[in-house]
Amino acid sequence: MKNSKVEEKAGAGRAATKKNSQLAAIMKRYMKNKLAVFGLVLFLILVVLAVGADLFADYEADAITQNMSERLQPPSAEHWFGTDRYGRDVFARILFGGRISLWVGTATILISLAGGSLIGAAAGYYGGKIDNVLMRIMDVFLAIPSILLAISIVAALGNGMMNLMIALSVSSVPRFARIVRSSILTVKGQEFVEAARAYGCRNGKIILYHILPNAIGPIIVQATLSMASTILMISSLSFVGLGLPSAIPEWGSMLSEAKEFMRYEPYLIAFPGIAIVLAVMAFNLIGDGLRDALDPKLRN
Amino acid sequence: MTVPILETKHLKKYFRTSRGDLHAVDDINISIEKGKTLGVVGESGCGKSTLGRVILRLLEATEGEILFEGQDLCKLNPRQMEKMRRELQIIFQDPFSSLNPRLSVSEIIADPIRTNKLLAHKCEIQDRVIELMHTVGLSDRFINAYPHELDGGRRQRIGVARALALNPKFIVCDEPVSALDVSIQAQILNLMMDLQEERNLTYLFITHDMSVVKHISNQIMVMYMGQCVEVSPTDELFENPIHPYTQALLSAIPVPKLRRDRGKRHLIQGEVTSPVNPKPGCRFAPRCPYARPECTGESIPLTEQSPGHFVSCVLP
Amino acid sequence: MEHLLEIKDLYVVYKGDDALVRAVNGVDLTLERGETLGLVGETGAGKTTTALAIMRLLPDRIGFIEKGQILLDGNDITKASDADMRVLRGSLVSMIFQDPMTSLNPTIRVGEQVGEVLELHHKELGKEEIEKRVDEIFTLVGLPPERKTDYPHQFSGGMRQRIVIAIALACQPQLLLADEPTTALDVTIQAQVLELMQQLKEKLHTSTILITHDLGVVAETCDKVAIMYAGEIIEIGTVEDIFEGGAHHPYTEGLFGSIPDLEKKERRLHPIDGMMPDPADLPEGCKFHDRCPKATERCASQPPAMYRWGTHGIRCHLFGEEPDKL
Repeated sequence: MKNSKVEEKAGAGRAATKKNSQLAAIMKRYMKNKLAVFGLVLFLILVVLAVGADLFADYEADAITQNMSERLQPPSAEHWFGTDRYGRDVFARILFGGRISLWVGTATILISLAGGSLIGAAAGYYGGKIDNVLMRIMDVFLAIPSILLAISIVAALGNGMMNLMIALSVSSVPRFARIVRSSILTVKGQEFVEAARAYGCRNGKIILYHILPNAIGPIIVQATLSMASTILMISSLSFVGLGLPSAIPEWGSMLSEAKEFMRYEPYLIAFPGIAIVLAVMAFNLIGDGLRDALDPKLRN
Repeated sequence: MTVPILETKHLKKYFRTSRGDLHAVDDINISIEKGKTLGVVGESGCGKSTLGRVILRLLEATEGEILFEGQDLCKLNPRQMEKMRRELQIIFQDPFSSLNPRLSVSEIIADPIRTNKLLAHKCEIQDRVIELMHTVGLSDRFINAYPHELDGGRRQRIGVARALALNPKFIVCDEPVSALDVSIQAQILNLMMDLQEERNLTYLFITHDMSVVKHISNQIMVMYMGQCVEVSPTDELFENPIHPYTQALLSAIPVPKLRRDRGKRHLIQGEVTSPVNPKPGCRFAPRCPYARPECTGESIPLTEQSPGHFVSCVLP
Repeated sequence: MEHLLEIKDLYVVYKGDDALVRAVNGVDLTLERGETLGLVGETGAGKTTTALAIMRLLPDRIGFIEKGQILLDGNDITKASDADMRVLRGSLVSMIFQDPMTSLNPTIRVGEQVGEVLELHHKELGKEEIEKRVDEIFTLVGLPPERKTDYPHQFSGGMRQRIVIAIALACQPQLLLADEPTTALDVTIQAQVLELMQQLKEKLHTSTILITHDLGVVAETCDKVAIMYAGEIIEIGTVEDIFEGGAHHPYTEGLFGSIPDLEKKERRLHPIDGMMPDPADLPEGCKFHDRCPKATERCASQPPAMYRWGTHGIRCHLFGEEPDKL
């Protein structure tokens, strides 16, 4: 038997682990963080309420149809959060509003994540001229405050769900592109990428199989944190009347409508406001929790 | 005379920097016979790692030829190069960054096979991975482990297995044992020598460690600031080092033996600068204790001092 | 005269998420004034942990001195307060780390970094006096004093390590802990730095603990050697005992067998099989027994004691029963 090929017996036990150990370790670290778990619980409640909104209320009857005989009722057993000036149930509108925020938010994040990853990955991996051109274009977009950019796009395209998503995506693509680019730059320099090139891996496979999975941590964190700011942005745009048509229940437009009644019917402004705060907080907490859980250097 | 498996002719790699061209590899001619090892020695920044990467076309050469079995690699188109990569592999220094942390051991070793479509069936690939793991002395119970769960020595064995997966003829070893503890270092060196014997592999062994290179190489090239200052068969180089830089390198190695004459060493002063727009002449001259005016005049060619022993110095 | 440093039965543990890592397990060590001790071992042998324990710089809330005493100049520093330690560090004991790049602050001029140490420990010194001392120290470590207004990145690796040494020696400590001070450097630069440390030792009579994995460096610079394995000192003695003595711990033999020898023609090396045990899961008996070619049944169950004769000590059963073997 040759000396160099003797496989040792010592210190063996731990290494033979099953496959998903990395995911499990991340979960374990995440679950240790109480605030992050609180954020996750909030998020789950939000999702259940938004998805199951139909179980609690009827969209047409409670949230859309005007019922002038019941206008401006304070919170009661029948209308938990009261009714607005057209007699629509505020609780129902908040539920369906949550559905819109989550839906528009998720769609926006997915669109800008895809666009940003593509641009950022190309810029980071190829470098040189491609990097310069792409990133300067991104810089132009970043130079404009994102709310202003979104307002101008909606103003140009007109109101509506689709246009809102386009406006929000365009304004968050540059941020994703930058974060993807920098994560790729750090991974690209590592020797395993060179090894893959040395055994004939093509660029596309190197980016998708070797680089992106290692760069995914910061990207996920950015996506969750962006979700929070996107929800805020949807509400802001609706508040200034640039989001969705005012009949559609949306937290921002509810606030906007309620501001006239702030003095005598404060609940009208309080409930949508609280909803926005809780949703934004949930995503921020999850984002922070994920950042800590995904970064092995921050352990302990 | 045997035909060399790998040759470079006037190989150059310059990097553009804001201060001018950095001559990382400057006119290097090497020639390695099949089944032999050429050791490339030098201090950090001398261009030895760049040389290894240029030979594998991980970096494009600025000028010169790389002949592998008579074929110039620089002239191959991307498709042909892709095929050629099966013959040429690399083992890296850092056993931590050289393995993808998101892949398991079996995925790491199987990826070269899958990429080059050498085997089609999952079971065949699995069998091949296990066979490779045994070849490098890894127990197959680690097949589903992740790199971070293993120690440096085992990780480096995975790196070796990955390089062997395509049955290459030629392997660039870039400081493969520098990051390891001495006892593990010796295990890996022995493994690499055994593999060479069994498979008739050819190595380009890059290192800064004179004592390591002595064990594994048939021939040694000493590099300084991108240039070859001395190249010679191993034993000849250690018995009769001619270039003052080689002498300084050899005398700087701390020897694990007690010497009564402590402190009587040939220390060279100063440190390496980077070869940006270098002046003609010997690049070691500013640190050389024997420097003379003619050292910095014009470039000094390699001259043969004894069979196979070439030196670039005005002295002898 | 009492010893400068005396470590008695030191145990250090790291408390991790789900494991108790036993990094140092019963180290006994003495160091006299002006002596250089080489602490040799592989990664994870507990060398750096021992040094950090002496500096009382074990990571907060993770690393603990479980048991034992560290007598520095006669005082047990395991019981010293943090405030006392801050005074001791720099003036009585200081440490040099492996990586000269990360142990310097990149945004502060190097002269100020040296001066800062002086200010901390010598509050009575005026600005000009400090400047003068900084110049002296720069000259001492072979750096031109006019470069003290440069930033760390303007220096090469070897020069940076000189600055680190300057900072460590600024207050003339009696004990210097050097943790792999030359590992990150090229051989020719390593030779220069070792030469410098040798000269400084003669000039300043500082005692040094040199932590290294390189037996070559030890042979060139040390008076005494301690070889560590899995948190224990398994062999200790003068350099003559270790490099020229006849009897050795099997691990020491393995270590020497692993080193590529410049003078031998033989190609194959003779390493020890296997690797260091996991410090969170140490074996019973002698910690080296499952890699030891000379192990007996007794080794697997009974931990050996340190057998000493003269200056030499070996922790191995082989030497306990038939001392005449020597």
